[in-house]
Amino acid sequence: MKKIGIIIDNYHLKYKVADFLEYLKTKAEIKIYVEESFLLNSENLNFDEDLFFTKAKGDLVLTFIKLLEEQTSIPVINSYKGTWLAINRFLNSVYLKKEGIPIPDFSLNPKGIIPPFRDYIIKNIIDQKNYKFKPVVHKKNGQLRVADERALNEVDTIDPKYNYLYYQNFIKSKWEYKVYLIDDEIFFFKQLPILVNPNKMESRTKIPEESELREMAFKAAEAIDLKICSLDFLKSKEQFFLTDINCTPNFNYIKDGHKIVADFLLKKAKK
Amino acid sequence: MKIGILSKRKTMMTGKLKDCLENKGYTVSIYTLENLIINETLLNNDFCILKSKSLFFLYAGFFLEANSIPVIPNPQISFLQKNRIQSHFLMKRIGLLAPDIYLGTTDTFKNQLDLKDFPFILKPIMGSGSKGVRIIRSKEDLKSENNTILYLERYIKGIHYNVYFIDNEICSLIKPPLSDEHVDMKKIETPDDIRDVIKKWKDYFKGDLLFGHLDIVREEASNNLYVVDPGSFPEFTNWKCKISPVESICNLIINKYEKLQKNHNKN
Repeated sequence: MKKIGIIIDNYHLKYKVADFLEYLKTKAEIKIYVEESFLLNSENLNFDEDLFFTKAKGDLVLTFIKLLEEQTSIPVINSYKGTWLAINRFLNSVYLKKEGIPIPDFSLNPKGIIPPFRDYIIKNIIDQKNYKFKPVVHKKNGQLRVADERALNEVDTIDPKYNYLYYQNFIKSKWEYKVYLIDDEIFFFKQLPILVNPNKMESRTKIPEESELREMAFKAAEAIDLKICSLDFLKSKEQFFLTDINCTPNFNYIKDGHKIVADFLLKKAKK
Repeated sequence: MKIGILSKRKTMMTGKLKDCLENKGYTVSIYTLENLIINETLLNNDFCILKSKSLFFLYAGFFLEANSIPVIPNPQISFLQKNRIQSHFLMKRIGLLAPDIYLGTTDTFKNQLDLKDFPFILKPIMGSGSKGVRIIRSKEDLKSENNTILYLERYIKGIHYNVYFIDNEICSLIKPPLSDEHVDMKKIETPDDIRDVIKKWKDYFKGDLLFGHLDIVREEASNNLYVVDPGSFPEFTNWKCKISPVESICNLIINKYEKLQKNHNKN
C-alpha cells in the first residue's frame, strides 16, 4: 500500500478534508502532519512516505515542503515555489504578467499614496491565513473603492506587518469565473461577484469549457508551478483577467473532487 | 544614466554611494519606504541598486527585473539570504554547515523539546542582522500568541566572526555573540578555513556576488565553522582592511552593470 503524508493545519483538517481522508484511507496508508502540533527539525528526515500532499500554507508548512524537496526525493504537491508564489499576491502578479497572462493592473503603494487607478480594490499582499474576503466598499463621486478588511487590518494595527497596500485596478464584470485545476483535469464555474451577492455558492453554476479560460488557467498554473489550484477570473470587454490564485482550493465544490484529488495523488506517488 | 537606490535610509552607505555615483556623473534617486511606489513609474531608471533586502525593496527588485531593468545585487540572491529557510537549505546545498533549525508553535516546543536541547536562538524567518533575535535558554523564554510559528536555531557555542568580502578582499573580525554589524569588533588575520568558506559561498553564485558578509561561528567543541547569517549588502561599518568599501562597491556595481549591458546587447 502506498504511503501518503498530509501536511495540513487545524482549520483544513476540521472543515475541509473529511471525505477526502475517508476515501484515501481505503487506498493508502496516511500519516497526518498538523502545522499547529508538529515539531519540524531540519535533521529529522525519517520519512517513508511515497508522496506528500499540502493542504495549508503557513510558515511551518512552507519550511516542511522545502525540507522535503531539498533533502529527500519524495514528491510534494503542491511545490514550495507554487505555494510561496500563490500566497505572495504581489510576486505572483509580477510573474503572471511577465508570462503574458492578462491580470488587472496593480500597484504597491505606501499607505496614504493613492494608486493610478480610478476604481480599485485593495487586497492583502500575503495571503497565508484561513479567512474569508470581507469587502469594505466606498462609492464617492462615481469612483469605486473596495478594500479587503484583512488588507486594511494588516496596516492599521499598532504593530503593522507592513505599511504598504496592494491596489488592483477594479474590473467590472457581470460574473466571476472560478476554475479548478487538478493536474490535467479542469472544472469551470461562474458565480455572481461577492460584491453583488456575498453568498457565492447561491449563484454558483457549472459552465461548459471556455477555451480561453482553459489556456490561461493552465499557463498560469505552469508559470507558478501548481498541480492543484483554483483560479478566479473576471471578464471585461470580452477579455478575461486572472484576479486570484489559490494553492489550497476547496475541492469539495467539484463533484467527486475528493476522489479526483486522491486518485491523482496516488498516481503521482513514488511506488 | 539614471540609477535608483532601493534603501531603508538615505544616509550611511546609501548616501556615500549616491555621492560616489554622482561624482561619476550619474543621476541618482533614492527610494525609501516613504516614496517607493512599485508600478510602471519605477521603470524610468537604467538600473537599480538593491541596498536593503526588506520585503518591499525585494518586491521592487523582482518587479524591476521582470520588466528588464537590471538590479544589482540580484534580487533572487538577496532573497535567498533574507529568508532564513531559504538560506539554511542553500548552505546545505553548497556544502557549508548551518545550525539545525526547528519550527513549531510555543506549545509544540514546550511539549516536545527536552531541557537538554536548550539553548536555542529565536529568529524571524524573514530577517537579517540581530533584529528580533534572542537567546532561548528554557521553555519559559518561549512566548507567542495565536499559535504563531516560531523559528529556532540550535545555539552554537564558540567564537563569533563577522567576515566581510568585497571582490577578492576578505576582512575578518571577531564579534560579540548576537550583536549587529555596528558594535566594535576586533580585526584578525583571516584563517584559511574561513577563506575557504567565503570562496565556496562566492563560487556558488558564479560572479554574481560582488560583496557581502557572512556571520560565522567556530564551534568550541568541534572547531567546525557554522554559517549563521549571510548578508547581501552590509554597511561595512567595521571594515578595517586596506581598500575603501564605498569606492570599491561603487566601481564593482558600475562594472557589473556594464557587463550586463554588454551581454544584453550581444543577445
